[in-house]
Amino acid sequence: MFELPVTTIEGPELFVLEFGDIVNYFTVYTAVLFTFALLFTILAIISRPERQVDFAFGGDAFYTKDITPGQFRFQRFMALACGMATLGAMMSGDVFNFTLFCSMVGITNIGIVAAYRNRHVLNAAFQYGIVAMIATVPLFGSAAIILATTGTLSMWELFGPAIAVPLVAKIFLVLGVMGEGMAPFYVAKAEITRAPGAPYVLMIHVSSLLLFLRVVEIVISM
Amino acid sequence: MKRREGRGTWISRISRTISELENLAGLYAALFIAVTVLGAFTLPSLLYHDDQLYPKTIDAADPLNPYQRGGTPFNTTDVQAQYPDNSPYLGYVTAYLTPVTRFIADHTPYMGTTIVAHPGGIIDEILYNTRGLDTVAETSILFVAFAIAAHLFRRDE
Repeated sequence: MFELPVTTIEGPELFVLEFGDIVNYFTVYTAVLFTFALLFTILAIISRPERQVDFAFGGDAFYTKDITPGQFRFQRFMALACGMATLGAMMSGDVFNFTLFCSMVGITNIGIVAAYRNRHVLNAAFQYGIVAMIATVPLFGSAAIILATTGTLSMWELFGPAIAVPLVAKIFLVLGVMGEGMAPFYVAKAEITRAPGAPYVLMIHVSSLLLFLRVVEIVISM
Repeated sequence: MKRREGRGTWISRISRTISELENLAGLYAALFIAVTVLGAFTLPSLLYHDDQLYPKTIDAADPLNPYQRGGTPFNTTDVQAQYPDNSPYLGYVTAYLTPVTRFIADHTPYMGTTIVAHPGGIIDEILYNTRGLDTVAETSILFVAFAIAAHLFRRDE
C-alpha cells in the first residue's frame, strides 16, 4: 500500500508501521541511523561513568575523582530518554511527529547538561535552554507552514512531486533542528565535555548528529 | 598589556566571538531573525491550501471552541483522514467527552481553553485518533520536563 515516491535519496522502504495518519517507516538510510541510535542507547544502559584524573602542574601529584554510579542515575535516565527520542525521530514518517521528537531530544539534552553541579556547565545548560526555547518557534512554525500551504503533514505525500513545500518552511525546519540538536554549536560543546560522566554526555553528540542527518534527508526529499 | 590569544586576524576574532558561550543565544536569535525577514518577503507566494486534512471552524459561542469536531457520541461522524484504512473506528470517538469534561463544557463557556489543563483535556485530545502518536510524544515531552524540574528542585546542594 505504501510506496515511497522518491527512492534515489534514501533507498526503498524496508518496513512500514502504521499509527493512523502517522505512518512510520524504515528505509536503508534511516535503518542505519536507527541502528546507530540503538547501539549508543544500549551503550548508555550498560556502561559505567568514566573516572577523571586531575594532574597537578609542576609536580608528580595526581588525584582521581571519586565517582559512583549512583551519582549519575539521573544522567543515565536522561541519556536513555534521549536515545528513545532519537529512535522515534529516525523512523518518523510525519513532519509534525518528527518536530515533536526533535524537541524531546532538545529537552533531554538540557536535562543531561543541567544535572551537573559545576558552575560553568550550568552556565552552558542555561544558554542551551534559551536556544532550545527560541528554536521551538521555527521548528513548529515550519510544521504549521507546511500544513497550511500543502494541507497535509504525512511525508509520504510531501515527498511526492505533486506537492511543493515552500523554501522558507524547509529553512525553518533546519534552523529549528539546529537549535534543538545544537549540532553546529560544537565549539560551545567543549564546555560540557569538561565535566565527568562521559558515556551520557556522548548521547548529546550522537543524537544531534543523527537528527541532523535525518533532517537533511527530509528537506532534500520534500 | 597582555596580548590575548586570537587577537590578530579577522577570522580569529570571528572564531573567538562564536566560541564564547554568552553569545550563543544572541547568534542563534540573529540567524533566526535573518531567516524570518527573508521569509516575510516570500509571504505573498505562500498560498493557503483549501483542501485541508485537519479543517478547523471557529464558533466563538461554542464552549468547546476551537476544539469542536462535531458529531454525537457513540455514533459515526464524518471525519477526514489521510489513510482511512488505518483507522477503522474513525468517526466513532471524536465526539466523546469524559463526564468531567462534559460537566465543564455544560457549565462554562471556556472548555476549549483548558485543553491540557486537566486530565480529561488530554484524554479528549487522544480521542483525535488519527494522530494518536503525536499525543503520546507530546505527553512524554511534558513528563520529561517535569522530571528535569523535579530533579533540579530536589537535589541536595
